[in-house]
Amino acid sequence: MSKSIDQGSPSDPASLSLEQIVENFEAERSRALRRGRLFQLVQVLCLTALLSGAFQASGLFSSYLGDGAIGRIADFLARLLPKLQADHLFADRATAGSLAFWFYDLDLWLKLLAETVQIAIVATVLGAIFALPLSFLAARNLTPAPLIYWTVRRTSELVRTLPDIIVALILVAAFGLGPIPGVIALTLGTTASLTKLFAEANEAADMHQLEALQSAGGNWWQQLRFGLIPQVLPTMASYSLLRLEINVGAAAALGIVGAGGIGVELSRAITFTEFDTYFAVLLLIVGLIFVLDLTSEAIRHRLMGVEQAA
Amino acid sequence: MTARSDLIEQASLIAPNSVHQPLMSRIGRWGLGFGAVLLFGWMCHNLELRVDVLVRGFTKLGTLTKAMFPPFANGAELKILQALLVTLAMAMTGTIMGIVVALPLGSVGAKNLIRNPILHFAVRRTLDFLRGVPVLVWALIMISAFGLGPIAGVIALALADFPHLAKQFAEALENSDPRPSQAILASGGNRLEAMRLGLLPQVVPVMASQSLYTLESNFRHAAILGVVGAGGIGFELEERIRIFAFDQVAWIVVAYVASVTLLDWISSQLRSRLI
Repeated sequence: MSKSIDQGSPSDPASLSLEQIVENFEAERSRALRRGRLFQLVQVLCLTALLSGAFQASGLFSSYLGDGAIGRIADFLARLLPKLQADHLFADRATAGSLAFWFYDLDLWLKLLAETVQIAIVATVLGAIFALPLSFLAARNLTPAPLIYWTVRRTSELVRTLPDIIVALILVAAFGLGPIPGVIALTLGTTASLTKLFAEANEAADMHQLEALQSAGGNWWQQLRFGLIPQVLPTMASYSLLRLEINVGAAAALGIVGAGGIGVELSRAITFTEFDTYFAVLLLIVGLIFVLDLTSEAIRHRLMGVEQAA
Repeated sequence: MTARSDLIEQASLIAPNSVHQPLMSRIGRWGLGFGAVLLFGWMCHNLELRVDVLVRGFTKLGTLTKAMFPPFANGAELKILQALLVTLAMAMTGTIMGIVVALPLGSVGAKNLIRNPILHFAVRRTLDFLRGVPVLVWALIMISAFGLGPIAGVIALALADFPHLAKQFAEALENSDPRPSQAILASGGNRLEAMRLGLLPQVVPVMASQSLYTLESNFRHAAILGVVGAGGIGFELEERIRIFAFDQVAWIVVAYVASVTLLDWISSQLRSRLI
């Protein structure tokens, strides 16, 4: 806009009276404003067309949600809730209306939750182990050759575009049902994303410490071990914990395609329309993720404190 | 050699722990490491992560991968591209619905707009709880409520997005500078003008950028929602994995990766213009 104002007064300003200059300026300004408004209008029209196309294609208006859609959602939500009875809330499993009746298979669910956590931990550890050497190759200041840097970076980007669930779906076809396809799918995703994050931590590291070690006769490995690792380890540990949180949620969801863990029970409950069971399992998952978030946040804050103190 | 041992002696006088660590701390460290390795091994054992299972699986995966080449759409190119467009439409509609719900909630959750601490706490904690529910879990609920089709996926995406967006919107509002609004109020503007001219220019670009980011992640999520029956590209993919048509699977994956890359590029261009 300012560019057009500059170009708007071709005649020598000195020969013009003050009124003329003001008049020129005002005319130019209203023209620029009009142009800006027109541009905005075009933008709004384009966005509206795009969005109405999207609404149409996703069936937002055309879908038949049945008579009284709100009523049906309310009905569905009511079926999610268990029918608890206050007088025998703490009775045993056989009594309808007790908490134990609602959580009727708690032992199995806790076992599956433990499996979910183990899938997430094993995948995170393996991913971090694989990502560490790759991150040296993918860091601009450490890579042995630009071609290697480029290849590792692009590969990790490519892998990151593939959702875990789709990878798991293909792996279930190869490995069969069970936790192993889940572990491998999550390991793959974790390696790709941690490679990028670790590489960025490496690039932010202070290279002077490595140079000091080099000048004192340290070899490549010693430079990395004593010059780089102490600088980046707290950041890397913090990223790995963050990834662990993500992986627990992902591992819970992976079970839905048959890749082990608590998700198997979720999809079973839906298939058998046991909506109160679904809600019970969901509560367990959300509770687990909540507790894990708090724990890992506390650990991460301590790690970050260590990093700042160092 | 003497110079070197002298140096070590000197160093141990200044900082004894750096040269010779106390035995107990060394044992503790090795013990911790050993324990961690043991724990990891135990977990691998529980998950039946054994070498023979892996070898068998990867051999089979090799056969499947061989079947993927060359990628072949079997005449379904148009259908697949249409499914990709439906997935994109689901992502956009879900994002818009998420924004519509998140805007008022984010404003309530921002400390500088609503000063009621009880309301503030309640909103924040509820959002924290809802953030723990994975999008696939919402999708399963919505499919049993609305039946198979994209609309269930759209609602699931919106439900999974709005807690994240509301939190980010609240943070954007809290991080805004109060002084432009104060200046407008001081020069005689009313509260509406202070919001329109003092607050919105600061927060709208941040919110728009976060919404674009949500759109990107929704495109990925919308693809996986198809796997459980919410329409779009995931549905086509799941169908073909079921019948082991891996050349078609490969074609879909390539088309999908290309469109994700394209969308991410467009979105990052827009975002870099916004901020």
